[in-house]
Amino acid sequence: MISYRNVSKRFSADVPPAVDSVSFEVAEGETLVILGSSGSGKSTLLKMTNRLLEMSSGNILLDGEDISNCDAISLRRKIGYVFQGVGLFPHYSVRDNVGIVSRLNGEKATVRSRRVDELLELVGLPADEYADRFPNELSGGQQQRVGVARALAADPHYLLMDEPFGALDAITRDALQQEVLALKKRLNKTIVFVTHDIFEALTLGDRIAVMHEGKLEQIDTKESLLAEPATDFVRELFAKPIRQLTECGAFLNSKPGRKAEA
Amino acid sequence: MIDFLEGRFPELWLRVGEHIVLTGIATMVATVIGVPLGIVASRVKSLRGVITGIVGILQTIPSLAMLAFLLAVLNKIGALPAVIALTLYGLLPIVRNTLAGLEGVPSEIQEAADGVGMTPRQRLQMVELPLALPVIVTGIRTAAVVGVGIATLSAFIGAGGLGQFINRGLSLSNNQLILLGAIPSALLALLVDAAIGGVHWAVSSRSRNAPLKAMVLSFPMILFFVGVFAASGTNPLTPNASKPESSPSDWIRIGSKNFTEQIILGELMAQLIEKNTELRVERRFDLGGTMICHGALLAGEIDLYAEYTGTGLTAILKEPVRSNPDEVYSLVKGRYAEQFELQWLEPFGFNNTYSITVRESMAERNGWTSISDLKPTALDLTAGWTFEFSERPDGYPGLRDRYGLSFGKVRDLESALMYQAISSGEVDVICAFATDSRVAANALRVLEDDRSFFPPYYAAPVIRKSTLDRRPGLEDVLSPLAGLLTDDVMLRLNFEVDQKKLSPSAVAKSFLEEAGL
Repeated sequence: MISYRNVSKRFSADVPPAVDSVSFEVAEGETLVILGSSGSGKSTLLKMTNRLLEMSSGNILLDGEDISNCDAISLRRKIGYVFQGVGLFPHYSVRDNVGIVSRLNGEKATVRSRRVDELLELVGLPADEYADRFPNELSGGQQQRVGVARALAADPHYLLMDEPFGALDAITRDALQQEVLALKKRLNKTIVFVTHDIFEALTLGDRIAVMHEGKLEQIDTKESLLAEPATDFVRELFAKPIRQLTECGAFLNSKPGRKAEA
Repeated sequence: MIDFLEGRFPELWLRVGEHIVLTGIATMVATVIGVPLGIVASRVKSLRGVITGIVGILQTIPSLAMLAFLLAVLNKIGALPAVIALTLYGLLPIVRNTLAGLEGVPSEIQEAADGVGMTPRQRLQMVELPLALPVIVTGIRTAAVVGVGIATLSAFIGAGGLGQFINRGLSLSNNQLILLGAIPSALLALLVDAAIGGVHWAVSSRSRNAPLKAMVLSFPMILFFVGVFAASGTNPLTPNASKPESSPSDWIRIGSKNFTEQIILGELMAQLIEKNTELRVERRFDLGGTMICHGALLAGEIDLYAEYTGTGLTAILKEPVRSNPDEVYSLVKGRYAEQFELQWLEPFGFNNTYSITVRESMAERNGWTSISDLKPTALDLTAGWTFEFSERPDGYPGLRDRYGLSFGKVRDLESALMYQAISSGEVDVICAFATDSRVAANALRVLEDDRSFFPPYYAAPVIRKSTLDRRPGLEDVLSPLAGLLTDDVMLRLNFEVDQKKLSPSAVAKSFLEEAGL
C-alpha cells in the first residue's frame, strides 16, 4: 500500500506549487491511474514516490514506512519504473538493459540471463530474436516493451509508469495497454500509472485520480467519477470526450463513402 | 636527393621515433589528467569556469615562452620540459570534449539511470562515460594531432624529434633539411589521426567484429612502441644523437643557439676536444636562443657554448650598452664568474655585431649610408627583426631611443626567413649579423652605426667553472682558437655552410686541418 499524506512540491518560491497538499492511498494490487493535463503535477507526484524528486512537505508511506527514512538508491531498486521517454541505455543491448537492476543488485550472470529471457517472453519479445539487439534497432513499441521488462526485472511489488505509451501510435498503444492488463492479471502488481489520455485511464484504471493545477480534484472508480463528479473540472473532463464521440459516431453512421459510390 | 635521404635515413628513423614518443607520452599524460578534470568540471559547477579558464589560458602561451619558463622552473632541457609543455597544450581539447561529452548525455537517459537505482558513481561509469566516450576520444585525437605539430618546437629545448631537422634546416638555410622534418611530421600527423580515428570507430561502432576492433584499438599502442624502439636505437651515423652511456665525467656537453655560426663554433670546439682529449662530446645544438642556452648552462644541462660579449652584457646581465670591447669583455667575465660561476675563455677574434641592413638597390636610390639616414622615411618602411632583436635592450627598443627611429611596420621573423623577406621586398630593413654570408649573397648594404649604438659582440666560449675544475686541461685545448677566427674567417666559414651547403662539421674539420690543429 502507498499512502500520500499532504504531499506538496514547490520548485521555486515565485511560482505556485507543482503539487499542492495531495493525500490519497493506493490499495494492494490495484492499478491507480493519475489523470491530468500537462502541468497538473501528475509526473511530479510519481517521481516523488521513488525519490527521483524530493517532496517539499508531507509524507509518502510505502507499506507503512516513510520513504524519507529509506535509502533512495535501494528504494529505487525495489520499485519498477517505466519512463516517459523510454530511457533505455543506447549502448546496452536489450539483454543488458533488462538485466541492469539485477546487475546493480549483484545477482549472478547465469541467474540474470535466465530471468531476462523469461521477462522478454513475458512482454512478447522472444529472447533469441531480440536479446542481442540494441535499442535503436527496435521500433518504438518494442522499445517500450523492453522498458516494461526492465521495470519488472527485480520482481518489484510496485510499478510506477510515467506516460509510458504517450509517444506511440494509436494501434501500438492499444496493443500495449492490453498487454499491461494481461500482465496485471498474471503478476498481481500494485501499479501507479500516469497519463493525460482519458481513454487510457478508463481502459487501465481500477480507480482514477484526477489532478488539476497541482491539486487532487477527485479519486474514485470510473463509474463514480462519471455519475457523481465532485467538481466542474471533472464533469467537463468527461463531458468533452462524450461530445466528441457522439459527433464522430454521427459522422460514421452517415456512411459518406457509400453515398459517393451511388 | 636519393643520396641525401640515404645518408640521413638512420637519423630520420631516430627523429621519427623521438617525435612519436614525445607526442605519445604527452597525449597519454594529458588524457590521464584531462579526463578527470573534465569530469570534475561537469560535476562541480563552481569549478567549471576555473578549470576551463586555466586550460584555455595555457593554450595561449607561446611555445618558446612556455619552454623557457619550464627550463627556469625545472632546471632541465631535453625531453622532460618538452613533454610537460606538450601535455599542457593537450589539456584543452581533452577537458573541453570530456565536459561536452558528459553534458551531451540526454537528460532522460540520466533520469533512467537514477530511476533504476544507480549510485552517482555507477551512473558516471556505466552510462555517462560510455556515452560520452566518442566525444572524449575526438578530443584526444585533436590533442594528439595538434601535439605532433607542436612537438616540432621541442627541438628548441634539445628534446630531438623531427623539429630538429626543421630547426637545423632553418639555421643552415637548407630547404632539403626543412622538408626532411616537415614532410614526415605531416605524414605522422595523418597517421596519428587515422590511428585514433580507428579508436573512435571501435568505441562507437556497434560492429560485432571483436578481433577487428581489438586490432584497431591496439594500433596506437603499436605505433607508440615502434616509436620507443626507434628512439632508443643507437645511431653511429649521427653523432648529434649519441647519448652518454658511460659515467658523466667522461662526457662534455656542448650547446649552441640555432644559427649557422653558432653551430660551426660548436663543431670547432667539439672537434678540438675530441681530438686532443679522451673526453667524448655530446652535441646539444640548435637550442632556441640565448635564454635557453644560458638557462641550460646554468642548470648544468650543457657544459659550454659560445656567447657574444654584447649579448651577455645586455640580454643576460641587463647592463646598459657600452662600446669599449675590452671593457665589455672584462665586465661580463667578472660578473659571470661572480654571479653564475661561469667562466669566459679567450674570445675567438671576430665581432658579430648586429647591423642594420637594407637592399643595396634601395640604399643606392635613397643615398643611405648610415642608420641616421633612415630617419626621414622610417615611417614608410617595414622592418623585419628576429624575435630576440625585437625585445632585447640592445635591439629595437634601444635603437629606437638612440636614433629616434620608429618604423612604420615591424615584423618578427625567424632569422633565415628574414633574409628571404628582404630580398623578396616583403620587408625593407633587417637586423643582419655582421659575419653573416647572406648579407653579401643577397645584395644587401650594411648601414653604419653612426651613433655607436651597438655594443661589441665578440664571441667566446663560456664554460661552467665546475667543468673547468674537473677538467682543467680544457682551457688549453680551446685556447688555439682564440684570435684565430677573424671577421673575414668567420664570414668565409658561414659562407661555406649557408651558400655552398657544406655541413658545419665538414667545414669545421677542414678549417682545423688547414690551421694545423
